Amino acid sequence: MGRYIANRLAQLIPVLFLISVIVFGILHALPGDPAELILQGAEGGAPPERLRELKTQMGLDDPLIVQYLRFAGGALVGDLGESIRFRTSVTGLILDRLWYTVELALAGLLVALLIGVPLGMIAAVRQNSWVDTLAMSVAYVGASMPVFWFGLILILTFSFTFSWFPPAGADGLISLVLPAITLGFVSAGLISRLVRSSMIEVLGEDYIRTSRAKGMSERLVLWRHGFRNALIPVVTMVGLTFGGMLAGAVVTETVFSRPGLGRLVVSAILTKDYPLVQGCVLFLAVLYLSVNLVVDILYAWLDPRIRYAK
Amino acid sequence: MRSEPDLAPVLASPAEETALPSQRMRALQRFLRNPGAVVGAGVLGFWLVVAVISPFLVPYDPTDTVGLARQAPSAEFWFGTDTLGRDVFSRVLVGSQISLQLGLISIGLGAVPGVTMGLVAGYFGGLTDAVISRFVDALLAFPSILLALVIIAALGPNLQNVMIAVGIGTVPLYARLVRGSVLAVKQLPYVEAARVVGNPAWRIMFRHVLANAYAPIVVLSTLQVGNAILIGSGLSFLGLGAQPPTPEWGLMSAEGRDVLRRAWWISTFPGVAILSVVVACNLVGDGLRSALDPRMRVDG
Repeated sequence: MGRYIANRLAQLIPVLFLISVIVFGILHALPGDPAELILQGAEGGAPPERLRELKTQMGLDDPLIVQYLRFAGGALVGDLGESIRFRTSVTGLILDRLWYTVELALAGLLVALLIGVPLGMIAAVRQNSWVDTLAMSVAYVGASMPVFWFGLILILTFSFTFSWFPPAGADGLISLVLPAITLGFVSAGLISRLVRSSMIEVLGEDYIRTSRAKGMSERLVLWRHGFRNALIPVVTMVGLTFGGMLAGAVVTETVFSRPGLGRLVVSAILTKDYPLVQGCVLFLAVLYLSVNLVVDILYAWLDPRIRYAK
Repeated sequence: MRSEPDLAPVLASPAEETALPSQRMRALQRFLRNPGAVVGAGVLGFWLVVAVISPFLVPYDPTDTVGLARQAPSAEFWFGTDTLGRDVFSRVLVGSQISLQLGLISIGLGAVPGVTMGLVAGYFGGLTDAVISRFVDALLAFPSILLALVIIAALGPNLQNVMIAVGIGTVPLYARLVRGSVLAVKQLPYVEAARVVGNPAWRIMFRHVLANAYAPIVVLSTLQVGNAILIGSGLSFLGLGAQPPTPEWGLMSAEGRDVLRRAWWISTFPGVAILSVVVACNLVGDGLRSALDPRMRVDG
């Protein structure tokens, strides 16, 4: 197990390196000069001396490799530079909002599992019946739903028509309900399809037939032998779903006017705050990779076959 | 996030010329027997027709103020009017052009480099493969929305850049898929034969290897068109894509957001349009997957 973890950690290093190069490369090598863009936003024309001054100040005169090393070296010790708009440290801005996004992603994940797992189970147990068709249609629509639109519909229904939940903000658990449903329902579609196919596969196994043959009650067969084994592949899905949650958070936080990393990065793009965009994206990527690493380790711990296969 | 279509590389047998039509016919029959796929194809066909003829069909100019602002749906304005008094029905219909273009162009932008990278990596192997595969792995380890955000940050928020951003996000999907297919057919005798008679590498890759790996590419593309429309309209909703007064569905939803309580129709109808197109793409994609190769697993 220790060796497996060490292996997975070692695999992470080149990926992190490449991601930092990709993020840095796209923001610096593509046409469009950050200094020029910043001044363009401020006044009609950019006076050349002001431009030169800003470039020096931002370190844009140095060779790209020097700029990259400064960025990567800083990132390694948790320094992601300074935001142009807020004039404070990017790391600080991220940490201030981190919990809002984590809270939202966790709640969304919970909703996704609470809807997705039972939906997939019912569909599998009642395979090819109308229950199956209905459950899978719901899953299908969920997986094809524009997140922002679903959020608006929930606000329209549960905030404006029934006044059950607040339409915006981040005050306590009650304001988390609608965003979490918005985020969770979309992923629930994918999860339920996976649970269904996994459960159908498990139900075709010999040990299920054996349990039935020896007279075990159907409920026990389904729960003790079917359900537990069918859930194993769902664990890996959780890591990927978390990536979906981060992506969805970008939109959901805007729909519900919640503070968070998603809204921070969108506003950073709209205000051309390059260091902030760079820092946020790198941070979110590392967060996503870490979650997937933990999930993989958990998976290997649950299913020893994975450990020895690699 | 990017969905992970489960596309096992096909080991399509290089059928003789005479067997091809019947094989295609059988695939078509399988497709037509799948009610979901037929419904999906119908909806998609409807939107394609609308996209082509809507400029001649719509009752009002989609970017003109044609009535009072925020009028509820009525016989005069079927989907109501928006905050600027424009006809929502006309805007939704004409908006289909933008969404379908976004889906098709961004997939093209992703498929061409992606397929090429996959072909080259799979065919040449060795160091070439190692370099391309590491790069593809790094891109895959990265939620595609983050990549799209970085690209838009660099290029600026507009519709064209959304297509580029979404397209680049699909490059690794194609590269991985095609690489797998190439590895599966590369050693087959007919490829060997093509090599022995002296065909250049590019010709073998495109004419012989790719021609036998088209099915999963078609399936992936269909599913990704829906996904691209979903991501693209989301970016437009955030203000990072299409800019006013473009009748883009995501942007239209965003424009109705502030008046949602008083004028639900402004945001609702464009969303229904997105949902219907994306569901249709997914139904057709899944239908194609099971029709083109019954051996490909249908779950997903």
